[in-house]
Amino acid sequence: MSVTRGIARTTLGEDARHEGFLRHKSFRWLKVALALCLVCLVAYALIDQQPRPSGGTAYGYTLGTVATLLILWLTMLGVRKRAMTRGRWSLKGWTSAHVYLGLSLIVIATLHTGFDFGWNVHTLAYALMLLVILSGIWGVAAYATLPEALSNSRSEMTRPQMVDAVVKLDRQLQMAAQPLADADTAIVRRALADDPFRAGVFRRLSASPRGCRTDAALAGMRRRLALATGEEAEALESVVALLERKSAALARIRQYLRLRALLEVWLYVHVPLTFALIAALAAHILSVFFYW
Amino acid sequence: MAFVLRTVSHSAEGREIVRTSRVESDRLTIGRDPACDVHLTDLAVALRHATVDRRGSRLAVTCERGLTVELNGRKMGAGETDVATGADIVLASHALRFMPAPPAATDVALNVERITGGETKLDKAGERLFSLAPVMPGKRAMAWLLFLVVLGACIGWPIKAYYDRQHRAEAFARFQADEIWSSGHLSRAHAALQHDCSACHAKPFESVRDTACIACHKDVHGHADPFRLARAQPDLTAWGRLQLRVKQAFDLPPGRCIDCHTEHQGQQAMAPTPQHFCSDCHADLTAKLPDTAIGNAGDFGKAHPDFRSAVITGWDGERPILQRVPIGAHPREQSGLKFPHTLHVSRVGGVAQMARTLGMGASLECRDCHSLNPDGVRFRPVEMERDCAMCHDLSFDRVGGTLRTLRHGDPAQVIADLRALYGGRTQPRPAILSPFARRLPGAAAGDRGETRYIRFAGAPGADAAIRAVFSPGGACYDCHTVQAPPPGSLAYRIAPVAFPSRYIQHGWFDHRSHASQSCASCHAASRSNAAADLLLPDLRTCRTCHGGERTSKPVASTCAMCHDYHRDAGAPAMIIRQRIGAERRQSVARLEGGG
Repeated sequence: MSVTRGIARTTLGEDARHEGFLRHKSFRWLKVALALCLVCLVAYALIDQQPRPSGGTAYGYTLGTVATLLILWLTMLGVRKRAMTRGRWSLKGWTSAHVYLGLSLIVIATLHTGFDFGWNVHTLAYALMLLVILSGIWGVAAYATLPEALSNSRSEMTRPQMVDAVVKLDRQLQMAAQPLADADTAIVRRALADDPFRAGVFRRLSASPRGCRTDAALAGMRRRLALATGEEAEALESVVALLERKSAALARIRQYLRLRALLEVWLYVHVPLTFALIAALAAHILSVFFYW
Repeated sequence: MAFVLRTVSHSAEGREIVRTSRVESDRLTIGRDPACDVHLTDLAVALRHATVDRRGSRLAVTCERGLTVELNGRKMGAGETDVATGADIVLASHALRFMPAPPAATDVALNVERITGGETKLDKAGERLFSLAPVMPGKRAMAWLLFLVVLGACIGWPIKAYYDRQHRAEAFARFQADEIWSSGHLSRAHAALQHDCSACHAKPFESVRDTACIACHKDVHGHADPFRLARAQPDLTAWGRLQLRVKQAFDLPPGRCIDCHTEHQGQQAMAPTPQHFCSDCHADLTAKLPDTAIGNAGDFGKAHPDFRSAVITGWDGERPILQRVPIGAHPREQSGLKFPHTLHVSRVGGVAQMARTLGMGASLECRDCHSLNPDGVRFRPVEMERDCAMCHDLSFDRVGGTLRTLRHGDPAQVIADLRALYGGRTQPRPAILSPFARRLPGAAAGDRGETRYIRFAGAPGADAAIRAVFSPGGACYDCHTVQAPPPGSLAYRIAPVAFPSRYIQHGWFDHRSHASQSCASCHAASRSNAAADLLLPDLRTCRTCHGGERTSKPVASTCAMCHDYHRDAGAPAMIIRQRIGAERRQSVARLEGGG
């Protein structure tokens, strides 16, 4: 049993042992979700839906109602998560249920459709639901794997330290570049203006050094160094060394940003698509009764 | 003349540190080069960036080629200003302020100060920068935007289409937004309604009513008297009652057309109505409607009453008495005709010999006498002239090369013709009167003609010939029931002949669909010695191939295969739809094959 540092002497309850939301209460919600799926599957196999399986049979309406209630409840996690509590209905338990019951929707909603798809609002709602679930799966996978990689990528540095390293290198570059010719300083200055946080979501996700001005300056300075002699060569050498260190510092930040982006980006799909799904679901249900 | 430089910097606590120096020259050089008079350690400053020249009471600022400074707020490569007004020069992160001085003053003082710190944007990089939030549109904004877009497209737009339609007399011919609500294509029969949801969904939030169907299907009648229909409904189980309760709560009254005729099931022929829609009532109909004439039927393979065929059971004078009799009761048909099938289809004997002589094959086949209607469903009624006369010849006289024949179906004319034959001739020739005396090629025929001649030559003329025609061995007698004339008269009459035009009145049977089977597999003609035998197959015969809805037999047969809920005559809708579908597939195959 691992113990959180500093509180070794406090009495540790059951909850103190770290148990992620996936294994919460020995997979209680996974079992509930599996049982739910099993019931639906067996019913699908046994019930003779006339004229053919679809959302419009008694079985279809029942599963549709279950799925709708589930979706609405799953959406409530957005409200619930703002209040962290422990105990019987802890946020962790709630999250665990969110994940497993959300996954069970794949089975419930698919059986609800009776594999009857078309270009209409009904299939739109289904497709949006699948996208929300897929982004959720991404999120679970990200939470399960990325945080460790995220802290490793900082190589024992805090986030401000990572930035500090770059800022310090910039100052040193400022000084080291003083003796350089105007054309060279122009290159160094572009490197100084480098801002890794300007990268948009796709650049962050790829962590690509493409367009990195520090790398460009480094290449330029190396070319100059090859031709330079005397004092100029010495100055260039120190600038190149500094640019190399800055390049490495930026790459570390980019790698960190990439992991952060991977960890966060799914929610930018999950949440907006959930709202789109609820709108499509409303249209799906309304259309059925409007043209009853 | 000199420039007095006051270089101002700030300590960490914000205290001002001023260093003063003096440049004894009219010219002040500004640049990053340490050799410059004003040495600015900013990479944005060129090694030798600009010079300031004192020309009397004027100060001239000149930049190196291609470089600029900000002189009194204006960016320029070269400029002049008065010593008296002073000047502000901004160069990258530094400001050079030339203090106003009297035009004649020897010294010009200037402050050199770094105005922007050396810090970059990174210095301000907070925790937030590491997250995606600053570079993404807000989750909440995206969520509401998508919510409204989907709501507008999937609810607002279709509802608008619905109200547009309410204000139009004629149906739309192209896509309407409310079609995105459709759960599936309409059946082929209703394809024309695809842009007109309101044709069936007349009122919002009201289930489709029969009035919408009847608006077009005007001449479709119901199945039976509505009261009897209601009485025949099966008793509901608790589950059934619950279902009914739920349906009624959701405005789904039972017994609507669409209960059986489900729509939006795809671009296909309407699905055949499942058997249970019939068997719910008909499986135990006699219990619900004791006075019904219809037997219980739940499944063709397991529970179906015997076929009851229309049979002529007797005659009321000239009118046949038609009754429906179960085929299993082996009814005798009083058609008025004498006809042994077994003799005609036998592979040996006189008939077979005749068929061979006439070139009709080894023996007579069913099709030699029975011909299908053009629609292939039933057979044409047998006609003497067309179907019998090739063998059963009625010729009795030859005039030149032309044979005279007795008129079939008119005994009075036959009698008159015979009398005319005998009355009008001095040398009567023998009539070939017997049905067994047919025009035959070859010498043997001539011999038989001679025999007849000898037989009739001794008879007393016309009377004998008339009697012979209507008596055993005569042309009429062999096939017909001859009604004897009153004593002293020769007014022979023939009993009328009739057959039902349709034996099974309330079930459909299509001969063309059974073309793969031989006639004998259902009609036991080779064992029938009398015309009274009803050669219809019974239930057992049909069941060798046909089972119920779910069966291991080769042909699964729901009620709809032979019976129609709405129609009484003609093919059931299911058969018609199947046939149309098959023809469409054939024509498509032809088109594709041809292309």
